[in-house]
Amino acid sequence: MDEPARRTGGDHAPGEAPARGPEDPSGPGPGGPFWRDRRWWRAWVSAGFGPMFWIFLAIAALCGALVYVLEGEAAFRAALVEDGRMVVETVPRVVVAIAVAGMIWVLMPRERISALVGRSSGMAGLVLATIAGAITPGGPTSAFSLLAMLGALGADRGTMIAYIASWATLGMQRILIWDVPMMGPDFSLLRIASTLVLPVAAGLLARALPIRLDLKGEQRLRDRL
Amino acid sequence: MSVALIVLLALFAVLAVMVARRGRGTAEDAAERALEQFAHVMPQLAVALLAAGFLAKLIPGELIAALMGPEAGWTGLIVGAVAGPIIPAGPVIAFSVAAVLERAGATPEALVAFVTSWSLFTLHRVITYELPMLGPSFLRLRLASVGLMPVAAGLIAAAIVRLLH
Repeated sequence: MDEPARRTGGDHAPGEAPARGPEDPSGPGPGGPFWRDRRWWRAWVSAGFGPMFWIFLAIAALCGALVYVLEGEAAFRAALVEDGRMVVETVPRVVVAIAVAGMIWVLMPRERISALVGRSSGMAGLVLATIAGAITPGGPTSAFSLLAMLGALGADRGTMIAYIASWATLGMQRILIWDVPMMGPDFSLLRIASTLVLPVAAGLLARALPIRLDLKGEQRLRDRL
Repeated sequence: MSVALIVLLALFAVLAVMVARRGRGTAEDAAERALEQFAHVMPQLAVALLAAGFLAKLIPGELIAALMGPEAGWTGLIVGAVAGPIIPAGPVIAFSVAAVLERAGATPEALVAFVTSWSLFTLHRVITYELPMLGPSFLRLRLASVGLMPVAAGLIAAAIVRLLH
Protein backbone atom coordinates (compact mmCIF):
# COMPACT_ATOMS: atom_id res chain seq x y z
CA MET A 1 0.00 0.00 0.00
CA ASP A 2 1.28 3.44 -0.76
CA GLU A 3 2.18 6.01 1.87
CA PRO A 4 -0.54 5.24 4.38
CA ALA A 5 0.29 8.19 6.63
CA ARG A 6 -0.05 10.76 3.88
CA ARG A 7 -3.47 9.53 2.93
CA THR A 8 -5.15 9.94 6.26
CA GLY A 9 -7.57 12.79 6.71
CA GLY A 10 -8.56 13.29 3.11
CA ASP A 11 -11.35 11.79 1.10
CA HIS A 12 -11.21 8.12 1.67
CA ALA A 13 -12.26 5.68 -0.88
CA PRO A 14 -11.06 2.30 -2.00
CA GLY A 15 -8.75 2.19 -4.92
CA GLU A 16 -6.45 5.12 -4.35
CA ALA A 17 -3.50 2.85 -5.01
CA PRO A 18 -2.87 1.55 -8.51
CA ALA A 19 -4.35 -1.85 -9.13
CA ARG A 20 -2.02 -4.70 -8.51
CA GLY A 21 -2.46 -8.42 -8.67
CA PRO A 22 -1.11 -10.83 -6.11
CA GLU A 23 1.60 -11.92 -8.53
CA ASP A 24 2.88 -8.37 -9.08
CA PRO A 25 6.47 -8.03 -7.76
CA SER A 26 5.69 -4.57 -6.34
CA GLY A 27 2.96 -6.14 -4.23
CA PRO A 28 3.38 -7.11 -0.60
CA GLY A 29 5.91 -9.79 0.20
CA PRO A 30 7.47 -12.08 -2.38
CA GLY A 31 5.03 -14.73 -3.48
CA GLY A 32 2.41 -14.41 -0.74
CA PRO A 33 -0.98 -12.78 -0.51
CA PHE A 34 -1.07 -9.44 1.31
CA TRP A 35 -2.62 -10.90 4.45
CA ARG A 36 0.38 -13.14 5.05
CA ASP A 37 2.68 -10.11 5.15
CA ARG A 38 3.37 -8.74 8.60
CA ARG A 39 4.62 -5.45 7.17
CA TRP A 40 1.23 -4.95 5.50
CA TRP A 41 -0.55 -5.31 8.84
CA ARG A 42 1.91 -2.96 10.56
CA ALA A 43 1.22 -0.35 7.84
CA TRP A 44 -2.50 -1.10 8.31
CA VAL A 45 -2.38 -0.28 12.02
CA SER A 46 -0.32 2.88 11.52
CA ALA A 47 -2.73 4.02 8.79
CA GLY A 48 -5.68 3.59 11.14
CA PHE A 49 -4.08 5.42 14.01
CA GLY A 50 -2.41 8.19 12.02
CA PRO A 51 -2.25 11.91 12.89
CA MET A 52 -5.89 12.55 12.00
CA PHE A 53 -7.08 9.94 14.49
CA TRP A 54 -5.18 11.63 17.30
CA ILE A 55 -6.37 15.08 16.24
CA PHE A 56 -10.00 13.92 16.26
CA LEU A 57 -9.44 12.18 19.59
CA ALA A 58 -8.00 15.41 21.05
CA ILE A 59 -10.99 17.38 19.74
CA ALA A 60 -13.38 14.78 21.20
CA ALA A 61 -11.61 14.97 24.57
CA LEU A 62 -11.68 18.78 24.52
CA CYS A 63 -15.39 18.92 23.62
CA GLY A 64 -16.13 16.24 26.19
CA ALA A 65 -14.30 18.21 28.88
CA LEU A 66 -16.17 21.38 27.89
CA VAL A 67 -19.51 19.59 28.14
CA TYR A 68 -18.52 18.27 31.59
CA VAL A 69 -17.48 21.71 32.83
CA LEU A 70 -20.26 23.80 31.24
CA GLU A 71 -23.23 21.44 31.39
CA GLY A 72 -22.39 19.18 34.31
CA GLU A 73 -21.85 15.49 34.80
CA ALA A 74 -25.39 14.37 33.95
CA ALA A 75 -25.26 16.05 30.52
CA PHE A 76 -21.81 14.55 29.93
CA ARG A 77 -23.08 11.04 30.67
CA ALA A 78 -26.14 11.55 28.49
CA ALA A 79 -23.94 12.75 25.62
CA LEU A 80 -21.63 9.78 26.07
CA VAL A 81 -24.52 7.30 25.97
CA GLU A 82 -25.94 8.99 22.87
CA ASP A 83 -22.50 8.99 21.22
CA GLY A 84 -22.10 5.29 21.98
CA ARG A 85 -25.48 4.56 20.41
CA MET A 86 -24.56 6.57 17.32
CA VAL A 87 -21.24 4.72 16.94
CA VAL A 88 -22.91 1.32 17.39
CA GLU A 89 -25.56 2.27 14.82
CA THR A 90 -23.25 3.79 12.23
CA VAL A 91 -20.13 1.64 12.32
CA PRO A 92 -21.68 -1.64 11.05
CA ARG A 93 -23.28 0.21 8.11
CA VAL A 94 -20.02 1.88 7.16
CA VAL A 95 -18.15 -1.45 7.45
CA VAL A 96 -20.53 -3.13 4.98
CA ALA A 97 -20.52 -0.05 2.73
CA ILE A 98 -16.73 -0.10 2.53
CA ALA A 99 -16.70 -3.78 1.61
CA VAL A 100 -19.28 -3.03 -1.12
CA ALA A 101 -17.16 -0.16 -2.47
CA GLY A 102 -14.05 -2.38 -2.55
CA MET A 103 -15.88 -4.94 -4.67
CA ILE A 104 -17.28 -2.28 -7.01
CA TRP A 105 -13.73 -1.05 -7.56
CA VAL A 106 -12.48 -4.41 -8.78
CA LEU A 107 -15.56 -5.05 -10.95
CA MET A 108 -15.69 -1.68 -12.77
CA PRO A 109 -13.98 -1.30 -16.19
CA ARG A 110 -12.37 2.11 -15.66
CA GLU A 111 -10.44 2.36 -18.94
CA ARG A 112 -13.55 1.73 -20.98
CA ILE A 113 -15.45 4.45 -19.09
CA SER A 114 -12.88 7.15 -19.89
CA ALA A 115 -12.56 6.10 -23.54
CA LEU A 116 -16.33 6.21 -24.03
CA VAL A 117 -16.74 9.65 -22.42
CA GLY A 118 -13.68 11.12 -24.17
CA ARG A 119 -15.09 10.26 -27.60
CA SER A 120 -18.62 11.53 -27.12
CA SER A 121 -19.98 15.07 -27.54
CA GLY A 122 -23.17 17.13 -27.56
CA MET A 123 -26.02 16.40 -25.18
CA ALA A 124 -25.19 12.69 -25.21
CA GLY A 125 -21.68 13.59 -24.07
CA LEU A 126 -23.02 15.45 -21.04
CA VAL A 127 -25.36 12.61 -20.09
CA LEU A 128 -22.60 10.04 -20.52
CA ALA A 129 -20.21 12.19 -18.48
CA THR A 130 -22.80 12.40 -15.70
CA ILE A 131 -23.24 8.62 -15.67
CA ALA A 132 -19.48 8.05 -15.78
CA GLY A 133 -18.95 10.46 -12.90
CA ALA A 134 -21.56 8.70 -10.80
CA ILE A 135 -20.08 5.24 -11.33
CA THR A 136 -16.35 6.09 -11.18
CA PRO A 137 -15.08 4.09 -8.24
CA GLY A 138 -12.38 5.41 -5.95
CA GLY A 139 -11.66 8.72 -4.31
CA PRO A 140 -10.36 12.01 -5.72
CA THR A 141 -7.13 10.49 -6.99
CA SER A 142 -8.90 8.26 -9.49
CA ALA A 143 -11.58 10.86 -10.39
CA PHE A 144 -9.14 13.70 -11.02
CA SER A 145 -6.74 11.52 -13.00
CA LEU A 146 -9.68 10.39 -15.13
CA LEU A 147 -10.65 14.06 -15.55
CA ALA A 148 -7.14 15.04 -16.60
CA MET A 149 -7.16 12.09 -18.99
CA LEU A 150 -10.46 13.34 -20.48
CA GLY A 151 -8.86 16.75 -21.01
CA ALA A 152 -5.88 15.18 -22.72
CA LEU A 153 -8.20 13.09 -24.91
CA GLY A 154 -9.76 16.35 -26.12
CA ALA A 155 -13.11 16.11 -24.33
CA ASP A 156 -14.92 19.45 -24.36
CA ARG A 157 -15.19 21.71 -21.31
CA GLY A 158 -18.87 20.92 -20.72
CA THR A 159 -18.13 17.21 -20.59
CA MET A 160 -15.31 17.76 -18.10
CA ILE A 161 -17.41 19.99 -15.83
CA ALA A 162 -20.37 17.60 -15.98
CA TYR A 163 -18.11 14.65 -15.18
CA ILE A 164 -16.46 16.14 -12.11
CA ALA A 165 -19.67 17.75 -10.83
CA SER A 166 -21.41 14.40 -11.14
CA TRP A 167 -18.57 12.53 -9.44
CA ALA A 168 -18.66 15.00 -6.54
CA THR A 169 -22.41 15.07 -6.00
CA LEU A 170 -23.76 11.79 -7.39
CA GLY A 171 -20.71 9.56 -6.89
CA MET A 172 -22.21 6.20 -6.07
CA GLN A 173 -19.34 5.32 -3.82
CA ARG A 174 -19.72 8.39 -1.59
CA ILE A 175 -23.47 7.83 -1.43
CA LEU A 176 -22.94 4.20 -0.41
CA ILE A 177 -20.19 4.77 2.14
CA TRP A 178 -21.37 8.08 3.62
CA ASP A 179 -24.90 9.17 2.73
CA VAL A 180 -26.66 5.86 3.30
CA PRO A 181 -24.99 4.84 6.59
CA MET A 182 -24.82 8.31 8.16
CA MET A 183 -27.96 10.05 6.87
CA GLY A 184 -30.24 7.16 5.90
CA PRO A 185 -31.74 5.97 2.59
CA ASP A 186 -34.49 8.64 2.57
CA PHE A 187 -32.03 11.50 2.65
CA SER A 188 -29.79 9.76 0.09
CA LEU A 189 -32.69 9.41 -2.35
CA LEU A 190 -33.74 13.03 -1.79
CA ARG A 191 -30.20 14.21 -2.46
CA ILE A 192 -29.86 12.08 -5.61
CA ALA A 193 -33.23 13.30 -6.94
CA SER A 194 -32.38 16.94 -6.22
CA THR A 195 -28.98 16.76 -7.91
CA LEU A 196 -29.70 14.43 -10.83
CA VAL A 197 -30.06 16.98 -13.66
CA LEU A 198 -27.64 19.56 -12.31
CA PRO A 199 -24.35 18.19 -13.74
CA VAL A 200 -25.82 18.36 -17.25
CA ALA A 201 -27.03 21.92 -16.58
CA ALA A 202 -23.56 22.85 -15.29
CA GLY A 203 -22.01 21.34 -18.43
CA LEU A 204 -24.32 23.39 -20.69
CA LEU A 205 -23.47 26.51 -18.69
CA ALA A 206 -19.74 25.75 -18.93
CA ARG A 207 -20.02 25.52 -22.73
CA ALA A 208 -21.73 28.92 -22.85
CA LEU A 209 -19.44 30.79 -20.46
CA PRO A 210 -16.74 33.02 -21.99
CA ILE A 211 -13.93 31.78 -19.77
CA ARG A 212 -10.58 30.86 -21.27
CA LEU A 213 -9.51 27.38 -20.35
CA ASP A 214 -5.80 26.49 -20.36
CA LEU A 215 -5.48 23.02 -18.99
CA LYS A 216 -2.31 22.29 -17.18
CA GLY A 217 -0.16 19.86 -19.08
CA GLU A 218 2.05 17.24 -17.55
CA GLN A 219 4.32 18.80 -14.95
CA ARG A 220 8.00 18.28 -15.55
CA LEU A 221 10.65 19.22 -13.04
CA ARG A 222 12.71 20.99 -15.67
CA ASP A 223 9.82 23.38 -16.40
CA ARG A 224 10.09 24.75 -12.90
CA LEU A 225 13.80 25.64 -13.23
CA MET B 1 -31.88 -3.65 11.82
CA SER B 2 -32.17 -0.44 9.86
CA VAL B 3 -33.22 -0.11 6.23
CA ALA B 4 -29.78 1.28 5.39
CA LEU B 5 -28.06 -1.84 6.70
CA ILE B 6 -30.47 -4.17 4.87
CA VAL B 7 -29.91 -2.33 1.57
CA LEU B 8 -26.14 -2.49 2.04
CA LEU B 9 -26.14 -6.17 3.02
CA ALA B 10 -28.21 -7.05 -0.06
CA LEU B 11 -25.73 -5.18 -2.29
CA PHE B 12 -22.88 -6.89 -0.49
CA ALA B 13 -24.36 -10.34 -1.18
CA VAL B 14 -24.90 -9.65 -4.91
CA LEU B 15 -21.42 -8.20 -5.41
CA ALA B 16 -19.75 -10.94 -3.36
CA VAL B 17 -21.17 -13.55 -5.76
CA MET B 18 -19.94 -11.52 -8.76
CA VAL B 19 -16.47 -11.13 -7.26
CA ALA B 20 -16.25 -14.80 -6.28
CA ARG B 21 -17.03 -15.82 -9.86
CA ARG B 22 -14.07 -13.75 -11.09
CA GLY B 23 -11.71 -15.94 -9.10
CA ARG B 24 -9.35 -15.76 -6.18
CA GLY B 25 -7.17 -12.88 -7.41
CA THR B 26 -10.14 -10.50 -7.74
CA ALA B 27 -11.49 -11.51 -4.35
CA GLU B 28 -8.12 -10.88 -2.71
CA ASP B 29 -7.81 -7.51 -4.44
CA ALA B 30 -11.26 -6.47 -3.22
CA ALA B 31 -10.52 -7.67 0.31
CA GLU B 32 -7.23 -5.77 0.40
CA ARG B 33 -8.90 -2.56 -0.75
CA ALA B 34 -11.71 -2.92 1.75
CA LEU B 35 -9.31 -3.62 4.63
CA GLU B 36 -7.21 -0.61 3.66
CA GLN B 37 -10.30 1.55 3.80
CA PHE B 38 -11.33 0.18 7.19
CA ALA B 39 -7.97 1.33 8.53
CA HIS B 40 -8.34 4.76 6.95
CA VAL B 41 -11.93 5.32 7.98
CA MET B 42 -13.07 3.36 11.03
CA PRO B 43 -10.85 4.65 13.90
CA GLN B 44 -11.27 8.21 12.66
CA LEU B 45 -15.00 7.82 12.24
CA ALA B 46 -15.46 6.46 15.77
CA VAL B 47 -13.68 9.42 17.40
CA ALA B 48 -15.22 11.93 14.98
CA LEU B 49 -18.71 10.74 15.96
CA LEU B 50 -17.71 11.05 19.61
CA ALA B 51 -16.49 14.63 19.02
CA ALA B 52 -19.58 15.49 16.98
CA GLY B 53 -21.88 14.23 19.73
CA PHE B 54 -20.20 16.41 22.36
CA LEU B 55 -20.15 19.33 19.95
CA ALA B 56 -23.90 18.95 19.48
CA LYS B 57 -24.32 19.52 23.23
CA LEU B 58 -22.16 22.65 23.08
CA ILE B 59 -23.76 24.27 20.03
CA PRO B 60 -27.15 25.62 21.07
CA GLY B 61 -29.84 23.75 19.14
CA GLU B 62 -31.88 26.94 18.82
CA LEU B 63 -29.04 28.52 16.82
CA ILE B 64 -28.94 25.68 14.28
CA ALA B 65 -32.73 25.61 14.13
CA ALA B 66 -32.83 29.37 13.53
CA LEU B 67 -30.16 29.22 10.81
CA MET B 68 -31.08 25.97 9.06
CA GLY B 69 -34.47 25.00 10.49
CA PRO B 70 -37.94 25.28 8.94
CA GLU B 71 -38.25 29.00 9.84
CA ALA B 72 -34.98 29.90 8.14
CA GLY B 73 -36.32 29.37 4.60
CA TRP B 74 -33.94 30.70 1.96
CA THR B 75 -31.39 31.58 4.61
CA GLY B 76 -31.10 27.90 5.51
CA LEU B 77 -30.10 26.98 1.95
CA ILE B 78 -27.53 29.74 1.80
CA VAL B 79 -26.12 28.91 5.24
CA GLY B 80 -25.83 25.27 4.16
CA ALA B 81 -24.17 26.21 0.85
CA VAL B 82 -21.67 28.53 2.55
CA ALA B 83 -20.91 26.13 5.40
CA GLY B 84 -20.00 23.25 3.03
CA PRO B 85 -16.62 24.34 1.69
CA ILE B 86 -15.60 25.86 5.02
CA ILE B 87 -15.22 22.32 6.28
CA PRO B 88 -11.79 21.59 4.86
CA ALA B 89 -11.85 17.90 5.61
CA GLY B 90 -12.83 14.55 4.23
CA PRO B 91 -16.21 12.87 4.47
CA VAL B 92 -15.60 11.64 8.03
CA ILE B 93 -15.96 15.16 9.44
CA ALA B 94 -18.40 16.50 6.86
CA PHE B 95 -20.94 13.73 7.41
CA SER B 96 -20.52 13.75 11.19
CA VAL B 97 -21.32 17.46 11.08
CA ALA B 98 -24.29 16.79 8.79
CA ALA B 99 -25.61 14.19 11.25
CA VAL B 100 -25.27 16.68 14.12
CA LEU B 101 -27.06 19.40 12.12
CA GLU B 102 -29.84 16.96 11.31
CA ARG B 103 -30.34 16.11 14.98
CA ALA B 104 -30.28 19.81 15.85
CA GLY B 105 -33.24 20.48 13.58
CA ALA B 106 -31.84 21.45 10.19
CA THR B 107 -34.28 20.91 7.30
CA PRO B 108 -33.56 18.23 4.65
CA GLU B 109 -33.21 20.90 1.96
CA ALA B 110 -30.63 22.84 3.98
CA LEU B 111 -28.74 19.56 4.51
CA VAL B 112 -28.89 18.79 0.78
CA ALA B 113 -27.39 22.24 0.11
CA PHE B 114 -24.73 21.60 2.75
CA VAL B 115 -23.67 18.14 1.52
CA THR B 116 -23.78 19.21 -2.15
CA SER B 117 -21.70 22.28 -1.45
CA TRP B 118 -19.16 20.36 0.63
CA SER B 119 -18.80 17.64 -2.00
CA LEU B 120 -18.31 20.17 -4.81
CA PHE B 121 -16.05 22.71 -3.19
CA THR B 122 -14.27 21.22 -0.19
CA LEU B 123 -11.04 23.19 -0.01
CA HIS B 124 -8.55 20.42 0.59
CA ARG B 125 -9.58 18.64 -2.60
CA VAL B 126 -9.25 21.84 -4.66
CA ILE B 127 -5.77 22.43 -3.28
CA THR B 128 -4.54 18.84 -3.42
CA TYR B 129 -6.03 17.73 -6.73
CA GLU B 130 -7.73 20.34 -8.87
CA LEU B 131 -5.15 23.13 -8.91
CA PRO B 132 -2.09 20.90 -9.41
CA MET B 133 -3.71 18.58 -11.97
CA LEU B 134 -5.90 20.95 -14.02
CA GLY B 135 -4.85 24.48 -13.16
CA PRO B 136 -6.57 27.72 -12.09
CA SER B 137 -8.47 28.30 -15.33
CA PHE B 138 -10.37 25.03 -14.86
CA LEU B 139 -11.19 26.02 -11.29
CA ARG B 140 -12.53 29.40 -12.52
CA LEU B 141 -14.69 27.73 -15.15
CA ARG B 142 -15.96 25.21 -12.61
CA LEU B 143 -16.78 27.84 -9.98
CA ALA B 144 -18.71 29.82 -12.58
CA SER B 145 -20.69 26.87 -13.92
CA VAL B 146 -21.19 24.86 -10.71
CA GLY B 147 -21.32 27.69 -8.16
CA LEU B 148 -25.10 27.81 -7.90
CA MET B 149 -25.56 24.04 -7.82
CA PRO B 150 -25.83 23.70 -3.99
CA VAL B 151 -28.63 26.29 -3.74
CA ALA B 152 -30.33 24.82 -6.84
CA ALA B 153 -30.16 21.33 -5.31
CA GLY B 154 -31.59 22.72 -2.07
CA LEU B 155 -34.48 24.36 -3.91
CA ILE B 156 -35.27 21.18 -5.83
CA ALA B 157 -35.08 19.23 -2.55
CA ALA B 158 -37.51 21.69 -0.94
CA ALA B 159 -39.90 21.26 -3.87
CA ILE B 160 -39.69 17.45 -3.63
CA VAL B 161 -40.27 17.53 0.15
CA ARG B 162 -43.35 19.75 -0.31
CA LEU B 163 -44.63 17.52 -3.11
CA LEU B 164 -44.40 14.45 -0.88
CA HIS B 165 -46.14 16.02 2.12
